[in-house]
Amino acid sequence: MARTEKKKDVGNHPIATGLVNLMWVVLCGLIAFPLLAGLLASFRPGRELVQNGLAINFDFTTMTLDNYKYLFGLAGGNSKVDSAKYFMWYKNSLILTILTVVLTLLVCYFIAYGLTMYKFKLQGLLFFLVIATMCVPFEILMLPLYQEVTTLGIINTRAGVILPGLCAASTIFFFRQYMQSLPKELLDAARIDGCTEYGISVKIMMPITKPAFASMAILCAMGSWNNMLWPMLVFRDTNKFTLQIGLNTLLTPYGNNYDLLIAGSMFGIIPILIIYLIFQKYLIDGMTAGAVKG
Amino acid sequence: MKKRWLSILMAAALVAAMPVCAMADEAAEGEPQAVTTVGPEDGTHFEMWSFVDAHNEFYGKMVEKWNEQNPDKPINITFSTYPYSDMHNKLMMSLQAGSGAPDMCDVEIGQFPNYTGDDCPLYALNDALAPYEADVVQSRLDVYSKADGTRIGVPTHVGASVMYWNAEIFEKYGLDYKAVKTWDDYTELGRQLKEASNGEVFLTSVDTGGVDWMWIAMAEYGEDWTGGLDGEVNVQLDSVKKMMTMQQEWLAEGIAMISTDGHIDLEAGFKNVSEGLVASFPKAMWYMSRFTNYMPEMEGKYDITTIPVFEEGQKNSVGIGGTGTVITDQCANPELAAEWLTWAKLSEEGESYIWSVLGFDVCNSALWFDDAFAFDESNQYNTFFRVKPYEVLQELANNDAIGTIYTTSVSPTLNDYMCTTTLNEVFEDGMDVDEALAEAQEYLEMELM
Amino acid sequence: MSKFKKLFYSQKVAPYVFVLPFMLSLIIFWAYPLISGIVMSFQDISFGKRTFVGLSHYTKLMGDKFFAIAVGNSVEYMLLTLLLMIPIPLVLAVLMESRLTKAKGVWKVIMYIPALTSVVISGMLFRMMFSEAAGSQMNQLMTWLGKTPIAWLKTKWTAWIALLLLCMWRWTGVNMLYFLSGLKSIDTSIYESADIDGANAWQKLWYLTLPLIKPTTIYVVTISVYAGLSMFLESFMLWNGNSSPKNIGLTIVGYLYKRGIEKNDLGYACAVGMVLMVIALIINVIQLVATGTFKKEDR
Repeated sequence: MARTEKKKDVGNHPIATGLVNLMWVVLCGLIAFPLLAGLLASFRPGRELVQNGLAINFDFTTMTLDNYKYLFGLAGGNSKVDSAKYFMWYKNSLILTILTVVLTLLVCYFIAYGLTMYKFKLQGLLFFLVIATMCVPFEILMLPLYQEVTTLGIINTRAGVILPGLCAASTIFFFRQYMQSLPKELLDAARIDGCTEYGISVKIMMPITKPAFASMAILCAMGSWNNMLWPMLVFRDTNKFTLQIGLNTLLTPYGNNYDLLIAGSMFGIIPILIIYLIFQKYLIDGMTAGAVKG
Repeated sequence: MKKRWLSILMAAALVAAMPVCAMADEAAEGEPQAVTTVGPEDGTHFEMWSFVDAHNEFYGKMVEKWNEQNPDKPINITFSTYPYSDMHNKLMMSLQAGSGAPDMCDVEIGQFPNYTGDDCPLYALNDALAPYEADVVQSRLDVYSKADGTRIGVPTHVGASVMYWNAEIFEKYGLDYKAVKTWDDYTELGRQLKEASNGEVFLTSVDTGGVDWMWIAMAEYGEDWTGGLDGEVNVQLDSVKKMMTMQQEWLAEGIAMISTDGHIDLEAGFKNVSEGLVASFPKAMWYMSRFTNYMPEMEGKYDITTIPVFEEGQKNSVGIGGTGTVITDQCANPELAAEWLTWAKLSEEGESYIWSVLGFDVCNSALWFDDAFAFDESNQYNTFFRVKPYEVLQELANNDAIGTIYTTSVSPTLNDYMCTTTLNEVFEDGMDVDEALAEAQEYLEMELM
Repeated sequence: MSKFKKLFYSQKVAPYVFVLPFMLSLIIFWAYPLISGIVMSFQDISFGKRTFVGLSHYTKLMGDKFFAIAVGNSVEYMLLTLLLMIPIPLVLAVLMESRLTKAKGVWKVIMYIPALTSVVISGMLFRMMFSEAAGSQMNQLMTWLGKTPIAWLKTKWTAWIALLLLCMWRWTGVNMLYFLSGLKSIDTSIYESADIDGANAWQKLWYLTLPLIKPTTIYVVTISVYAGLSMFLESFMLWNGNSSPKNIGLTIVGYLYKRGIEKNDLGYACAVGMVLMVIALIINVIQLVATGTFKKEDR
């Protein structure tokens, strides 16, 4: 509705505008506080965080780039090794996340399309199963799934990480809910035009499902980037570990490597933020009025 | 235009699903990687996991040394460092699944009870340990053993508990902490400190999220609430009651505080120590590294002594925490693995690395009395504190003062109940000690039946 | 061949082609492990050996007081998160879409970043903020308000404030994102006609936006039910482990970990997991039937 021109909209009230924006400032300030504290902490020696907690002070004299120098291997000593490891985890996470997002979205889109746009016998049962898979704690599937992946020979591979979660029930469900609110008349119109069932799903529906794709891409990327339990069980090779696994190894019962942990965690937000910025464009696009009316 | 591009891209990706996964895997293998495998390719290959990267570095060094000294039986090990709890999770799963387990693995002491049953999937280390048995602190071997005496883990360190004192504070107020021999002396010192500092400095902090104090009390009286490897659980012990009652009194008198966030080995704890809010506390030897890592400004301010006792002549230390390294039944060549492992962790070469780099009190007690080893000035711990740590260990060894508390199948339940419930009831709510322990005992008996 | 082709392209067969990957994945990666899990819940499992113990895990669960605490906490948490995490993000999403809000991109990014922050670091940040030490942020706030510092994480209601704030901090932006994309599926011409009819902003929200966004709301409710019941990470982050004072932060999945992993009792842990599954399934099926999501006509 932001795109439509409304002459007597409340948007013209300066007081309402002021209040709403004030609310955003306060809310986002609160949300940003821990992040800001973390960011500031990343410019201080790790032990200072340990001793002084999050005390926010902009004492620039104690701020240093050491943690980031360490992160990028510029500090000499151990830092070269740690830096190489960090960026290896980083790269692994990126590859895994991109593969997961692309594959999951496509597979789930088509499944949801089949589930929503047709009437067929198994439909009710399958939709129930989609809901059911969302209600099963992964922890009880863990051991059998581990054995299975080992038997299938995809242990220690990206396929082993991605395939079991490919048909993500929550993504299917989201697409389904989204498609439900779309007009079905489009399908019949396309059929009359001689478009095949599969053609419709790609050429007609996919473009107008873009906002759902965008939000699922963002969510799926986030889930994959932060996922640790299953990748950790599948990967056996340090060279394949992801960022989350790696960062967690910095906390041990024999002491924590705070320097690398804080800077590394803060720097680890960046790629996933970029993915967000890319896809949120499509969120804004929304459903084109022309396609609906056409 | 844009739409078409998008759909073509996506369709292509779908077709490429499987091959892409495979290709990406291969691509990753072709690129330069961090070194995780040590040793010549023709050596016997092993896979080893740890949850501490520094341990794997240490093992890597020991592989190199081994291969220099034993050209006839070279070994080659691939190391992986996993996050702490997840590694144990994965180890257990791979052992239960019957495949995928490493040949060797660091296991935290609390996890050992899971492997002490009849169908233990770990290799017996008795033969490999035999050459070192006489020199190694017995209690450390015992805690990684099954009830029938089968040794299943090679210890890393003793973790002997000692008393850490902020000597600077006591000097400032003119108090003599060195004269403290018993807990009564300690309590009296606390009263003096409270008065001298106007209540600004606490003698110590009492844990609600850790059982170290109780372990110390039990070691002093030679008791063990787990009942040992084949005994029955009993938390209603005199030693535990005495310690809890004494600590309740400290809190009532304002001598001690409750450890911020539960125990002193946390961020808030380091803050309390470095700011001098807490003037002394008992903790295992490995706490030394907390000083060098997080509180370097405390250099020269802290002293270490043995822990006070309830009655003179008692033992006054106990090994706390620890990591035992195990060999799994999925290892194809366990004899060689065991020979290397025991050598790496218990020989003089290995121990000197453990002491100088990892900073642990070593298990091979013969070395405690080797001045070149123990008092090496280049070791940071020998200059950081007002005492050389091995002087305290020598005193403990001379008095045979290190007791044993077992970690058994009841330990996880027991520790969990103590840290979530009993200690909180007693110290936070001021519940009667006997009542709280009776409640704990009742729960544990019900739970473990 | 052409007959096959015709069949393949027919409206009868097409849905099955579309859902084929799901059925395969369901059988391979879900049904098989789930059945193994169910079987395991009737077994005692140790290395390489499994003994059938019948219903004994389940009967033991019935009398397990910590399991009762865990279920109570999880259900309570789920209800509270439903109360907080549906209306607030919905209103925020509507506000975000309205013309009142300036600089939308900035707010959206800030709201979303917490979900991206790694669990290790955000857990540490919250633990420090809610530390019982006098210098922690929350206790400084208390001092400014003229109150004494509180041991936030040691009593239930203060700890739950921390827990719910952590939840809101991490997930408000994400739920808002769901609603935002839901709002995008609404045909904007509806609002234009409402404007012509002279509807005010509240009427539009109540009579147009809410009913039209219902599928998204149902989605968020469904995932929140399971997410709330299976909460573990937030509690783990806040107490730096799976043990909280007097088990105020013990959840069903936390208990499952205690049993299955820490005490190596996988059979019992599977029984715990089964109970979680059954509770989540019952709540969601009731909720979905009540909202008509299962009904075929509604498609």
